[in-house]
Amino acid sequence: MRALVIDDSRTMRRIVAGALENLGFSTVQAGDGQQALDLLESGEEVDLACIDWNMPVMDGLTFVTKVRANPAWRNITLMMVTTESEHGQIVRALAAGAHEYLIKPFTTDAIRDKLDLLGLVPAEETV
Amino acid sequence: MTAAAVEQDQVFAIAEEVFAAMIDGEPGYLRPWEGEVPVPAEPLAAWVDVHGELAGRAAVATDVPTAHELTRALLGMGADEPVGPEDLQDAFGEVANVVGGNIKALLPTQGTLGLPEVASALPAAPAGALTHELRLDWRGRPLVVVVSLFQ
Repeated sequence: MRALVIDDSRTMRRIVAGALENLGFSTVQAGDGQQALDLLESGEEVDLACIDWNMPVMDGLTFVTKVRANPAWRNITLMMVTTESEHGQIVRALAAGAHEYLIKPFTTDAIRDKLDLLGLVPAEETV
Repeated sequence: MTAAAVEQDQVFAIAEEVFAAMIDGEPGYLRPWEGEVPVPAEPLAAWVDVHGELAGRAAVATDVPTAHELTRALLGMGADEPVGPEDLQDAFGEVANVVGGNIKALLPTQGTLGLPEVASALPAAPAGALTHELRLDWRGRPLVVVVSLFQ
């Protein structure tokens, strides 16, 4: 499976991508929502997108809305990975079409648990 | 975002969780600093501003060598591995970003979070701001979490 990691922090991209690669994903990275959209529009095929909320150029919520508006991308699982932890923000993201929501700080176990809930942990990685 | 809206133990709990989850991999390495915090020879601060009805700032301040250690820990680098300036700025800023985002969630009104900034000194808070400093010890190194409420 292939995952798109979207975060303006290269540190966070490396942490999330590393955790996903340990779970068997291949990864591609983008520094904001527009870069991520450009990747998808160029034909990059991913099963999962992990999306920060606060980013320059295009924020994560806008990215989620744009992905959900395009039927060609309906199979991409969208997981917000963000410091935005207020209930209202979580509701907004889920209403926009995000499937899951992971609040920073997180552990690698937390990523794994969320992906497990989404049925995205490769079979050999499940306990 | 200070005594009026956020309790000191809540700020400590957030900092402790951030360090345990992202930096140390387990709790126990962040504790209150005992005594006076030494003045850093090479200070470095990272902060995020909160905009909205309750505006404020959450910041982490320490010295450059400690920020290098934090960066190595965040990125899983070796003890002697050199830290580049871009990694230092990004990683240290992300620590402030995660701390600030969680502090924002404690506010009674919803605001928006700015992007993290890093500099040798924190910008001055507006006159009348309520500022709270939490002096911490991370693996024997001094580190201060500063939370200010502007309105």
